[in-house]
Amino acid sequence: MTGIAIQLGISLAAILALAGFAVWLKLGGDVRLRDAEEARELARMTLCGFEPIDIALDRAGIGALLRDAGGRVMLLKRHGVHFAGRLLTDHRAIRLDQNFLTVGTGDSRFGAVTLDLGPEAQAWASSLRHLGVRA
Amino acid sequence: MKGGDPVRYAIPFFIALIIAEMIWARRRKAIHYEPGDTLLSLALGLGSTAAGFLTAGLVFAGALWLWQFRLMTIGWTWWALVLCFVLDDFNYYWAHRTGHRVRWFWAAHVNHHSSQHYNLSTALRQTWTGFIALSFMFRVWPVLLGFPPAMIAAVGGINLIYQFWIHTEAIGKMPRWFEAVMNTPAHHRVHHAVNPIYLDRNYAGVFIVWDRLFGSFQAEQEGVRNHYGIIRQLGSFNLLWAVFHEWIGIARDVWSAPWRSKFGYVWRPPGWTHDGSRDTSDMIRDRWHESQQARSEI
Repeated sequence: MTGIAIQLGISLAAILALAGFAVWLKLGGDVRLRDAEEARELARMTLCGFEPIDIALDRAGIGALLRDAGGRVMLLKRHGVHFAGRLLTDHRAIRLDQNFLTVGTGDSRFGAVTLDLGPEAQAWASSLRHLGVRA
Repeated sequence: MKGGDPVRYAIPFFIALIIAEMIWARRRKAIHYEPGDTLLSLALGLGSTAAGFLTAGLVFAGALWLWQFRLMTIGWTWWALVLCFVLDDFNYYWAHRTGHRVRWFWAAHVNHHSSQHYNLSTALRQTWTGFIALSFMFRVWPVLLGFPPAMIAAVGGINLIYQFWIHTEAIGKMPRWFEAVMNTPAHHRVHHAVNPIYLDRNYAGVFIVWDRLFGSFQAEQEGVRNHYGIIRQLGSFNLLWAVFHEWIGIARDVWSAPWRSKFGYVWRPPGWTHDGSRDTSDMIRDRWHESQQARSEI
C-alpha cells in the first residue's frame, strides 16, 4: 500500500512538473475569433447542417452568436485555445446591459458568456426573447 | 507472475516524449498547445492509474477463476506470445468499437476523446470507470482457450504502450507498407477527429487491418483540417465533469424517458434519443454526405 502511495505521489509530482514546463515554454495563448467567416466555419463544425445566416461577433473576438435559417441560435465561446458551441434553447438566462449581452446555455459546466456586441446587442436580445417560448 | 506490467517501465519514455513534443509545439506554433488541457489529460491518466490499482486485482482474480475452465494449457513460448498479442488486438478492436457504438461503454471511454487537442498527453486520458462498465470482458475470454492470465495482461500492456506514440500531429505519414498494416498517427488522428467523414472510424489498437477487414477504415484526407474532441464539446476543464459527464447524462436520460425507451439510452449509440432530438454519428455522417452530394450537383 505504501508503495502504491509513493508511486501515485511521484506521478502527481511528474504531472505538475510537466504542466509547469508547458507554462514555462509559454505554450497556449490568447485566442480570438478573427472574423465572421471563422465563426461560421466553427459553427458548421460544431453542428453539422447548421448554416449561419446571421452572425454577431464579440468585439474582442472571445465569442459569437449565430443564427441559421431555421431560427436556431448558437453560442460560440472560447475554451482554452479552441472554441466550443451550444445551441440556445431558453431565453431566461439572457441578460442585456447596454452593449453587453450575457448568454447562459442551461449547461452550468459550459457556463454563461458575456459578449460585447456593440449596437447589435439590443436587437439580438430582442430576438432571443422568443427562445424556448412555445407558439 | 511472469510478464509483469510493461506500462510501468514505459512511463519515463512517455514523459520524455511529451517534453519533446512540447518543445516541438513551441517551435511550430505555441498558441496551438493548451497547458490546461494537458494538465487535465495527465490528471485523467493519474486517476485511471489509481482506479487500476483498485480494480486490476479483481479482474486478474476473475481471469484466474476462469482459467480453471480452459480448453488447454498454452505455455510461455514465443509463438504463444505472438498469437496472444494478435488475438488481444482483435479483442481490443471489438472492445473499442463497442466503446463507441454502445452508450454504456462510451460513458467509460468518452474521457479519452473529450480533448479538443491531439497530442501525446491525450494518449494518457484513460478511463476511470472501465471496470464499472465491464469493458474488460472483451479482453479476458482468451484464458478459456488456455492463454495464461499474466500473458494476456502483458500483451495488453504492450498494446497500450504501442498506442502512445500514435497520439501526435508531429508525425505525418509513415511508409506506405507500414500505413497498410499498422495503426499510425494519421489513422488515429482520423479516429479522434469529429469531422463528419471521420466519425466512428479507425478503431484499431495496433493493427489497422481490423478496420480494413470489418469496414470501419477511413484514410486521412489531404488538405482537410482535423477538428478533435466529441460531438458536444465539453467547454470545461473540470476533472470530475470530464470523467462522469456521460454517466450523468445516461442517468438523466433514463430518468426522464418514457418506460419503453429507458433502456435505449443505455445500449443504443451515443446521441440516440427516443424522439430524434439529438444526432448519432451515423445521422451526422448521412447528413454530411447528403450536403456534399447536393453541392456537387449544383
